[in-house]
Amino acid sequence: MLDPAVLVQIFWTGLATSSYMVLFTIAFALVLKVLKLWNFAQAGMMAIAFYAMYAAVNQFHWPTAAAVAFGLAMTLAATLAFEVLGLRTLRARRSSSLLFFIFTLVCSEFTAYTLTLIFGTEPAPLFPEILSPTRMVAGIAVSNWDLLAVGLTAALCAALALYLRTTRDGQFMLAVSDSAELAALYGINARRTYAVTFAIASVFVCAGMYLYGSRTATIPTAPLQLMLFAVIATLLGGMGSVLGGALAAVFLSLLQSYSVLVIPSQWQGLILYVFLFVTILFFPTGMHPMTLLRRALR
Amino acid sequence: MSAALRLSGVCKRFGGIVVADEIELELERGQILGLIGPNGAGKTSLFNIVSGVVAADAGDIRIGGESVAGRTVHERARMGIVRTWQNMRLFHSMTVLENMVLAPREYAGESLVRLWFRPATVARADADACERALAILGRMGLAHLAGHGVVDLPYGQQKLIGLARALMNDGPCLLLDEPMAGVEGQAYETMKAVVREEAAAGRAVCVVEHNISFIKDLCTSAVFMSAGRILERGAIAELLASKTLAELYFGA
Amino acid sequence: MEYVYSILILVGIYIVLASSFNLIIGTAGLVSIAHPIFFALGAYTAGVLAIHLHLDPFSATAAGAAVAGAFSLMISLPSLRVSGDYLLITSIGFQLGLLQVIKNLELTGSQGGLNNIPTPVAGPERGWIFSAIALAAAAAAVLLIRRIVRGSYGRAIRAMRDDELAFVALGRNAKHIKIVIFAVGCALAGVAGAIYAFYFQYVSPEQFEILASGTMLTMVVVGGMGSTWGPVVGAVLLLALPQAITFLRLPLAYMAPLQGMIFTLLVILFLFLRPQGLVAPEPPAPLSPPAR
Repeated sequence: MLDPAVLVQIFWTGLATSSYMVLFTIAFALVLKVLKLWNFAQAGMMAIAFYAMYAAVNQFHWPTAAAVAFGLAMTLAATLAFEVLGLRTLRARRSSSLLFFIFTLVCSEFTAYTLTLIFGTEPAPLFPEILSPTRMVAGIAVSNWDLLAVGLTAALCAALALYLRTTRDGQFMLAVSDSAELAALYGINARRTYAVTFAIASVFVCAGMYLYGSRTATIPTAPLQLMLFAVIATLLGGMGSVLGGALAAVFLSLLQSYSVLVIPSQWQGLILYVFLFVTILFFPTGMHPMTLLRRALR
Repeated sequence: MSAALRLSGVCKRFGGIVVADEIELELERGQILGLIGPNGAGKTSLFNIVSGVVAADAGDIRIGGESVAGRTVHERARMGIVRTWQNMRLFHSMTVLENMVLAPREYAGESLVRLWFRPATVARADADACERALAILGRMGLAHLAGHGVVDLPYGQQKLIGLARALMNDGPCLLLDEPMAGVEGQAYETMKAVVREEAAAGRAVCVVEHNISFIKDLCTSAVFMSAGRILERGAIAELLASKTLAELYFGA
Repeated sequence: MEYVYSILILVGIYIVLASSFNLIIGTAGLVSIAHPIFFALGAYTAGVLAIHLHLDPFSATAAGAAVAGAFSLMISLPSLRVSGDYLLITSIGFQLGLLQVIKNLELTGSQGGLNNIPTPVAGPERGWIFSAIALAAAAAAVLLIRRIVRGSYGRAIRAMRDDELAFVALGRNAKHIKIVIFAVGCALAGVAGAIYAFYFQYVSPEQFEILASGTMLTMVVVGGMGSTWGPVVGAVLLLALPQAITFLRLPLAYMAPLQGMIFTLLVILFLFLRPQGLVAPEPPAPLSPPAR
């Protein structure tokens, strides 16, 4: 018999865990929407974010706030270099999507190798202590990390939504995502918009890696797996919909959490790929319930 | 005998824009039908729908009496419908002859199994296609260009090659999308002559054109489209004399 | 001497892998990252059949190739129905998902890998016999691919890459061509896997992680995408480089990532400075009008 308390606990913990996945998915989906680019270099961004913060905390012994700022700065620098030096050149040459793909993937791989060289393959969390103080709320264990995760994610999502709707740059992003050529006719600078998009993605990536890293011991190749989750969630939510991707990320996370009740844990990872296949086979433009939910929330 | 091409009740919308509204059209062998109308009337879209590039929302399309429902683009080409493109779409890395050899309804070299186990059959099919291609090029006076890369040729010749390539498909229906645009002089005359010959040999030809003298010279009848609808059809002279159509076409 | 033989065998295997990967991404332009998993499928299939069914190496290799080719359909059929981009995502998911299955299945030896694959040849001749086999396979693969890429079929592939819409509107089945090329490329990777399994007698999941695709990408991009001999040059280069690094006598913990860094950096440099790679694709002889 399934204890309802267990179900609720799984829901809460699953929701909290979905937080960083939501952040990674939003970053990936946003870049895909505005730049029409499958940014496989995001794994590299994620790795740099984590290890910059890790070095700041554990090697330079900086306070958390400074470490996060440092992580963000490093991620931004790497990402903008990637866009300005790399992507722009490929765009100017009208390179094929194959070359873009190879470039973004190889950047992630190069980053993974470099960080392995510097930090080794020992799993390491961001802070020495990964257990977070927990209290019981109505029979459910709620940890400080849970609250931070949910709160931070909600805040960033709200901020992004507001940004896209109210600021000029946000509006430009939506215009460019619709049609870059048309936007150019109206004087919107696509390059600047791309840079802004990557900056936002960096923020989300950093926040996500902070949450993930403060709870899980990380290795340099972990971001590649995490990024794949973001890719699947983006597909599931419908390419071009950041909200759809975020909802899909929550859905998939909860699915993985609840699957523990029915399948042995070693096969849990497989669920994601099964879902990927189901999506590609039956819902190539994104799952219809997601589309409906998206429209309902608009 | 059934018409070479028949459209009944064909409808298509893109979002809020009606691109085809209950289109009824019949094309007979030997006929050269002009499809005229202002830009954005849905003429090229109709070609896209017939050839299968775009799926119709509703309606029936038949080639030689046989329905194309559920058939993909390449299957329809094999059923006998071939078209040219406004921007030609020649294979830019290849020569004129190579472009044409890839165009018949059946291409032996498309099957890897055949390539490996029946190389002689493939070689023979290629040789046959070469001969046919040279014959078609000869009719246009362009046989000497067979070994040229298409990308270096002047515009008018490229357009002729586009037509030549389409003619490799020996099916009943030929759809020409603005074949005359930007073409003049000898190329113009050649194109007219070739299209006339094809119709005389039994092809059903439909031409989208803005060049009125071409339409007058060549087409036996015409159809006027505007905003996805066929407004008038009939003999060229009548359509061209109509005041309402002139207004729609050129604006008041 | 055994060391030299193992290098030669690896050269042969890598040439097959690079050439088949080049066929898929360079010639046909299909964006796929899953080549390592087909290498794995060939290796594991051959290994499992040899261990449990005592199958002879030729049948086991053929089975490995067949399994790899068949599994390729699992990726290409659904994703090409939608669009070219999807092949990429599907291939990543397939690569990682199948790796998970392999790591958890008893049949494939789980995390520890497949051990004690019976070798068809034992004794002192082992080295040179396997070298001959591997290099012969490499030559066969290169020639086979060359045959595909030249002539009528190759012409169709080039036209498809020039303008797929016009190609299809003339009656050519582009999807079919892509599926077949993908299957052939993956089957060849399966053959390479079987040879690997029979010589080294040990197959483990770590060898086929997604980072292995970086190795294959290096071979193809640096060697020269779309050319016949480019992958051969790339494969040889990829084997020569680690040997050069060995001389630095660094601890193993540094060697592996350093190797990876050099490879990926090479790809990036070539992508920007010399995108055609070391060996540019040779333009095929154009069709000549038949002599009268």
